[in-house]
Amino acid sequence: MKEKLTSLWQKLFGDSVRAFGVVSCLFLVSLAIAPAKNHFSEWRHYQHGYLKMIRNRSDAATLQRHFEGGIQQIWLPDLGVVDRCTSCHVGLKEASLNDVSQQPFRPHPVIPHKLGQFGCTVCHRGQGAATTVAEAHNSTLAWEQPILPAKYIESSCGECHRGTLAGTPQLNQGRSMLSRYGCVHCHTVKLPDGKIMKAADDPPSLSHIADKTTREWIYAWLKDPQAYAATATMPNFKLSDDDARDISAFLIANSTTVPEDTIALSAKAAADPTAGATLYGESFCASCHAVQNAAGNLVGGNVGPELTRVGNKVKPEWLQAWLRNPRIYNPETAMPHYRFNDAQVATLTGFLLAKTDSDLLNNVHLEAATPEQVEHGKRLVADYGCASCHEITGIKKPENFAPELSRIGSKPVTQLVFLRGMQHTLPDYIATKIKQPRSFGQNLKMPQYAFTVAQIDSLTTALLALNDRSFTLPPSLTVAAKAESDYQPAGKAGKLMTDLACFSCHRINGHGGDMAPDLTWEGSSVQRQWLMEFLKNPNTLRPALIRRMPKFNLTDSEANELTDYIMTVYQSPAVDRDSMPLSGYSQGQVELGKQLYYGKYACQGCHILDTKMDKGYVGPTLTRVGSRLTAAWVFQWMKNPQALRPGTLEPNRAMSDEDARALTAFLISQKVGSKSEVAKAKR
Amino acid sequence: MATVKTADRYFDDLRSTRVWRSVFRSGTGSSTLHRALAIQQNVFLHLFSTKVRTRMLSVSATWYLGTLTLGTFLILVATGIPLMLYYHPSAPQAYADTKDLQFVVSSGMFLRNLHRWSAHAMVFLVFAHMFKVFYRGAYRTPREFNWVIGVVLLLITLLLSYTGYLLPWDQLAYWAITVGSNIASAVPVMGNKIHFLLLGGNAVNANALLRFYVLHCMILPLTAIFFIAIHFWRIRKDGGLYSHASEPATLRAKATSSSTTATEGQ
Repeated sequence: MKEKLTSLWQKLFGDSVRAFGVVSCLFLVSLAIAPAKNHFSEWRHYQHGYLKMIRNRSDAATLQRHFEGGIQQIWLPDLGVVDRCTSCHVGLKEASLNDVSQQPFRPHPVIPHKLGQFGCTVCHRGQGAATTVAEAHNSTLAWEQPILPAKYIESSCGECHRGTLAGTPQLNQGRSMLSRYGCVHCHTVKLPDGKIMKAADDPPSLSHIADKTTREWIYAWLKDPQAYAATATMPNFKLSDDDARDISAFLIANSTTVPEDTIALSAKAAADPTAGATLYGESFCASCHAVQNAAGNLVGGNVGPELTRVGNKVKPEWLQAWLRNPRIYNPETAMPHYRFNDAQVATLTGFLLAKTDSDLLNNVHLEAATPEQVEHGKRLVADYGCASCHEITGIKKPENFAPELSRIGSKPVTQLVFLRGMQHTLPDYIATKIKQPRSFGQNLKMPQYAFTVAQIDSLTTALLALNDRSFTLPPSLTVAAKAESDYQPAGKAGKLMTDLACFSCHRINGHGGDMAPDLTWEGSSVQRQWLMEFLKNPNTLRPALIRRMPKFNLTDSEANELTDYIMTVYQSPAVDRDSMPLSGYSQGQVELGKQLYYGKYACQGCHILDTKMDKGYVGPTLTRVGSRLTAAWVFQWMKNPQALRPGTLEPNRAMSDEDARALTAFLISQKVGSKSEVAKAKR
Repeated sequence: MATVKTADRYFDDLRSTRVWRSVFRSGTGSSTLHRALAIQQNVFLHLFSTKVRTRMLSVSATWYLGTLTLGTFLILVATGIPLMLYYHPSAPQAYADTKDLQFVVSSGMFLRNLHRWSAHAMVFLVFAHMFKVFYRGAYRTPREFNWVIGVVLLLITLLLSYTGYLLPWDQLAYWAITVGSNIASAVPVMGNKIHFLLLGGNAVNANALLRFYVLHCMILPLTAIFFIAIHFWRIRKDGGLYSHASEPATLRAKATSSSTTATEGQ
């Protein structure tokens, strides 16, 4: 063996010339490795594969013509994008390849942007410069951002689009959750436009809590908020029995009273046992408050708190005062001030207090609190940052209680501490952190939320959108969110509107909720008589809706005040109320309008005009539209509904003036009752 | 045999042409004088001794460590120049350029890796060379000045290595230079000044990148070439490659001991 080796050595390196030759050959071979590696590259392999695939297709000629060999790249200096993804993903723009399921040859799904406009990595992340599969898609030592999993892809839309976007429900939900669930109370979120995200969950002040509820309920609530109300936004802090006992002791001891926020009522509730339920229904409490029905489903809105077990929570004296006028206890509340009389208050109180769950407080037995417990409770309240969300007398709202999340979507993976068995990616980290915050350490303060998987995905999507790129984008590319104005109506009517909490549901001049119609141009749109009656006794316009305008029991002077204000102030410059008459249209025009209504434009598909025949539940009922809307508004609405109310479902039919006038004549002829009644109403 | 002779004759003819003679003035002939002149009158070769003992050319004499170091240096220059063609020393471009070298420049990865591994090899070889010189005692008189030059060359090699480390402009580079420059600021009294001078600021940023680029591609290589020239020149001037057996001291000792032996023998 050794001899063989020696002789081989002799043959190769025996004399210097031969050794030189052998070494030169070895050197040449090693030099050939680099060009060889270049030649057998992955992208070349995929391009060959693509050409082979399209060869036998019927559209081969077109595809062949579109195909360009070699390394392809999308270069966008403004965005810092050099994306060579198209070197392998050759068929991205070929719509005719939609039957191909094999990657990397699938065409891109239809999106509102051109592929060359933003490149690939702006939305998908990954390493655009890379030309190998592993380097482009995975995170490596030299590149942290792997491909973004498809379920979070909407986060990338949020880099430019700062407002809600029709195509990104998940992102919209996530963003609204950040404020709806009060994440931003503790975590500061500075938006790229310089604003700071505001919370929308309106956590109650705890300064006067002893007037409202008992220590036992506070204890039970602290232990598990979702046991009281499944929809509670308050998270579970996983408090020990002792901690919950001490916090409840502190909150009760710390509470001060508000004059007149509790009353003893002399009036008796109505004798009829169904009166409470009827009043609850008539007042449309369910528009804002939800109650769990026997089947366990929630019925009602989510503006106010769930009332399924409200009888376990509130003290009767407080509830009565609250129903009479909620603004005494909380001037900022979204709850309208119903003008209930004492009997109604008593009836509704009785109805609500019966909503109890006997199990909830059964096992809660608390001894009288000791000063030490109260002191310890105070420390805990400071420790857990309760005052970040709730107003508590004597406790300051902590600043920057939790880490800022303004650029969480670009947090380097190297700065994250992962759990064992977890994927080492940012989206997984964020999702797990939301799902089980305490799994990262028992001493962490972040509480446990009761989110569904879809909610966690939405939140993660919204958080991933808060990244460096969204801050560094050229301003020309950003699409700003519609700014929420701080419009406040003035004067007596303004006070009345605040008292009735109109803005909890309606939007006016860019301020307010989105549950009910926008009232910005209401004065141009409706007739005075109708508005006055509607305010005093709102019957519903849209029969399919569960959430409707409640009856506030306004006095005549209040209704008058409000009507005058609305008719005078909320006028559209585009609609002159008096430019078209409310009567006097020729029979021929009305007939023509009727034909257009049922024929050409088929309005009955969405609207009800004849209650016996029509089945349209999408748009408002039009049975008495002639007594409700102004002719000028109807005319302009026919011409271009989106101009009057952006985002309305009503399609723009691009009507001619004649058609619009005829339809207006027909609709305005649909008045309340008989002609004599109309005449009476006018007088 | 005949063909070899012909080739030799052609070569001799070539060497006697006017053009050849104007370039290489040593002329034809293979006498000792001619061969000495061929070395002496060539700008590249004149740094070397005109005569070397055959024994000193064997591997065991030097392990070729100095020559190998020169070899890696030449590879570094040869690969460094094409790398410069693809590289912008600017903060937004530097990392993207290394990515381009990796992914789209033909054999760019090979070029970069060759540069990088040669740099590692050069540092290793410089140390090995110095150990060899040290343990053989080749640093002693009259070669002590060349040893000092060698130490300077070691420093330049390390600085080249250090400045080149920043150029890929990745996290590793950034933090390595941050740590390295902070070490410099630990120098008493003027530490912070050195730190500022080195980085062109108080933190590693675009100025530091530009400074390190200029140092790495111009100042340090030119300095290195300057000192390498002196280093080689001094080998010749200090009496050629060190050989223990031919040192004057050894010879003297030998002479004395042989005479002593002779005396003793008497």
